[in-house]
Amino acid sequence: MLGKKDSKKDDESGGSNPFKNLEKASVLQETRTFNETPINAKKCCLILTKILYMINQGEHLAPTEATQAFFAMTKLFQCKDVMLRRMLYLCIKEMANIANDVIIVTSSLTKDMTGKEDIYRGPAIRALCRITDNTMLQSIERYMKQAIVDKSRSVSSAALVSSLHLMKQGPEVVKRWVNEVSEAVNSDNVMVQYHALGLLYQIKKNDKLAITKLVSKFSKSSLRSPYAYCFLIRVAAHQLEEEKDGFDKTLFDFIESCLRHKSDMVIYEAASAIVSLKCTTSKELVSAVGVLQLLCSSPKPSLRYAAVKTLNKISITHPAAVTACNIDLENLITDQNRSIATLAITTLLKTGNESGVDRLMKQIASFMSEISDEFKIVVVDAIQSLCLKFPRKHNVMMSFLASMLREDGGFEYKKAIVNTIIAIIEENPEAKESGLSHLCEFIEDCDFLPLATRVLHLLGREGPRTTTPAKYIRYIYNRVILESAEVRAAAVSALAKFGASSDDLLPSILVLLNRSKLDEDDEVRDRATFFYDILSQNDKALSSAYILNTLNVSPVSLERALLQYNQSVTEKPFDIKVVPTIEVTESHKPSAETSLPKTVKPTDKPAASRQDLYSEQLSAIPEFAHLGPLFKSSAPVDLTEPETEYSVKCVKHTFTNYIVFQFDCLNTLNDQLLEKVVVKMDTADGYEIISYKTCPKLPYNTPGVAYTLVKIPEDPSQVVATFGCNLKFVVKDCDPNTGEPDNEEGYQDEYGLENVEVTVSDHVQKVLKPNFGASWEEVGAENELEDTYALSMPSLEEAIKNIIQFMGLQPCERTERPPEGKNTHVLLMAGIYRGGHDVLVRAKLAYNDGGVAMQLTIRSSDSIVPQVIAQAVG
Amino acid sequence: MLDWFKSLFWKEEMELTLVGLQYSGKTTFVNVIASGQFTEDMIPTVGFNMRKITKGNVTIKLWDIGGQPRFRTMWERYCRGVNAIIYMVDAANHDTIGAAKTELHNLLDKPQLQGIPVLVLGNKRDLPNALDEKKLIDELNLNAIQDREICCYSISCKKQENIDITLQWLIQHSKSNR
Repeated sequence: MLGKKDSKKDDESGGSNPFKNLEKASVLQETRTFNETPINAKKCCLILTKILYMINQGEHLAPTEATQAFFAMTKLFQCKDVMLRRMLYLCIKEMANIANDVIIVTSSLTKDMTGKEDIYRGPAIRALCRITDNTMLQSIERYMKQAIVDKSRSVSSAALVSSLHLMKQGPEVVKRWVNEVSEAVNSDNVMVQYHALGLLYQIKKNDKLAITKLVSKFSKSSLRSPYAYCFLIRVAAHQLEEEKDGFDKTLFDFIESCLRHKSDMVIYEAASAIVSLKCTTSKELVSAVGVLQLLCSSPKPSLRYAAVKTLNKISITHPAAVTACNIDLENLITDQNRSIATLAITTLLKTGNESGVDRLMKQIASFMSEISDEFKIVVVDAIQSLCLKFPRKHNVMMSFLASMLREDGGFEYKKAIVNTIIAIIEENPEAKESGLSHLCEFIEDCDFLPLATRVLHLLGREGPRTTTPAKYIRYIYNRVILESAEVRAAAVSALAKFGASSDDLLPSILVLLNRSKLDEDDEVRDRATFFYDILSQNDKALSSAYILNTLNVSPVSLERALLQYNQSVTEKPFDIKVVPTIEVTESHKPSAETSLPKTVKPTDKPAASRQDLYSEQLSAIPEFAHLGPLFKSSAPVDLTEPETEYSVKCVKHTFTNYIVFQFDCLNTLNDQLLEKVVVKMDTADGYEIISYKTCPKLPYNTPGVAYTLVKIPEDPSQVVATFGCNLKFVVKDCDPNTGEPDNEEGYQDEYGLENVEVTVSDHVQKVLKPNFGASWEEVGAENELEDTYALSMPSLEEAIKNIIQFMGLQPCERTERPPEGKNTHVLLMAGIYRGGHDVLVRAKLAYNDGGVAMQLTIRSSDSIVPQVIAQAVG
Repeated sequence: MLDWFKSLFWKEEMELTLVGLQYSGKTTFVNVIASGQFTEDMIPTVGFNMRKITKGNVTIKLWDIGGQPRFRTMWERYCRGVNAIIYMVDAANHDTIGAAKTELHNLLDKPQLQGIPVLVLGNKRDLPNALDEKKLIDELNLNAIQDREICCYSISCKKQENIDITLQWLIQHSKSNR
């Protein structure tokens, strides 16, 4: 029916859409026709089409309107017209969630699904499952069970797929149909078999053992349906990924054997599964890549596409394996299908060597205008990884990106380009100036507000540190004159940063900001006024605190802290220091594998961080409610060897005067129930153990949490400590199947854990200072501590990595990556010490014959803190 | 001339709605007048059944609506504009007669249904202790309904008693309303 409508539309291309000017009120009025006798099937069909069209166009129907129309529709069940009846099913499905009391058609639909008209049965089942709510599910159970094993494949498939949807609302009822579903898996029909297997998996999905059995059973009894095979491969691959310990050889062997299946689809699925598995070794990879290589020269475009897409995906993780297919990929460069060609070229770009880059770029430029945005993004991604690999090629890449920026394109595409340019600028200082000027040009004519504001923010951060900052001011100020309020506000902030960084530019910036003080938008005006006043003070500390290095708190925590403050009756002013600082996200952390482009992608929105979640959990426990705001939570540390009876991980939560140790315990013995689980700790390092919170019950394979609360010593210089840990509990032997204990009496037992170390880094939170120098001056030399050390480290990189790890501070201005081939480097780090004191560290490093000499300078707003930090390397 | 009259009769069509509490025998009644046979149908109607029955020169369109509490609010929607409403009562179940009375009066109070004739059927007269017409009229307080034509029969679907007079009443009302 819909297809018919589409073709009609195509025929009248350029003509008008007959449904274009539909009015809701008049269409609803027309539904009265349904009450007439005799029923005019053709007319009613048209009215139903109009209703469907309206709903699909997003027209909102109020429940009373929809219900009225729905009950009028039910009158159409008296008409025997086939077209009308099928249209009716469609409408019922669409209105199922809008109208009330839709279950009124249950009886009519069950009659149709069990009736003689095969053409009604499948659609009636689908409609029935849509209108059935949880309370009614039982009343249709009988019919559904019959339909699942029905001889007609359309009926059986409809029942299976509808049951899959019903799983979401009433899994218990659907689980009772497992016998019928298992029977349907043996069907001769490929689709029924596939659908039945899918449902069977959903039913058993939470039972790992059952799934393993399911895979091994069906991998032996050869399934008829290639779709079912593909599904089984996915299940097996998922199972392999899930298994943390141990590698199930039979599962992998099954997938491997599918590489020799007779269906292309199955072969591809198996190859794709193998190359995507994390546990695949290079040896196992060879056969899978060999299959993909064969598919690359298949006459079917869909297979070529699938193969090259998969190769492209793994070109970063397994470059060597992909290189083996280079010849086949070269052949695909000129493929008629542009999507295949694009993927082939970008794969070659990612795996090829520097010399081939120019040739490939030229090739791709020749048809860039012919491919869709989606594939242009693939090209952009490839360019980004290329730039990281061959920094010297940045000129070619940058001009290519710039020309892409100038062309038309959607938001996602432009965003990908801007992200790539920014990533290149951050990775490669040489590319900075040209990158910034391309971006300046881009925002001159940019329709996408988020991108314009992002670029302006970047200009504010990077611009002042270039050789000629003045040239960017014109671009920024143009935005103030020409753009909408959001962009103007961002531009004003960027201008202020130039003013704060350069004394020469300050007078001109003040003039420009002064003009914006009369802006019509509140935000722009407020920003301009604020920045103008700060800058006119001409005080470096103020500029640093309020313009260059602004608040670094997590928005979620700030909101919570303000709420708490408002609810409490207190005369004290709000203390910003109680708000936990924002966790520096993974993406900014120096990682060993910086060649992966994904690690530099910035996070888009301020989601609740891991620490916010911990903070919420802890404050819900009455014993810990008085501890104040959570300062820092460490990453989990394993206190047990892998594959032991019990697994315990420790997370250290630091508060202003206390530390809470959170022990995440897991019992891996299915014949034991642990009770009163507690981790006993002892230490000689001055920490006082205040209380334990036991985990009352720890059944098999269900995580439990125990806590220990300790007080940090009064002496501020005493911060590091080692704690001995013992897991104590009462064991009750139990039946592995039911988990019920055999008898009520258990016995006391304990289990030794590894020590927990509290280090300096547990007392320090990382803070990224975008402008380190300004903060350095802001804190001043009052509490400065300076010392020199000789570190026995094999290289500068190694030394830097260790220093960052020991101190737990955030490296700033990308100083964590020393320039190649140099023997000296200055590492800058910033953070906040427990209690809210700023800490800044400058480490001058020099490498010399198997050792690194370090001159360490520490500044802080507190006098004790520098000594504590120095302990970390001492 | 006669043929012309006859063709008019053949075209005669009427619409009826059958309501009443669950297990009063509505769907069974439909089966009896449609096929003349009694079947012990124990599956409750979820929603409605639509049946077209031809009796002599009249085609009856019959809406049989489920009697479970969640469907009772929907009765009215199917009663609007029909030739007559049939209200089925389980005459042998003294516990539900009170609820049957309330639901009937609630339904007939709806302004949309004003003036539509009502036929109350006391089903299951074959069972011992079943109420007869008089008692039913009393128990259901039918005398209070003055704004329309109302009639009450005691029937048995199982024994097929009084089905013929019921049909007669119904067919009469197809003519009188047209």
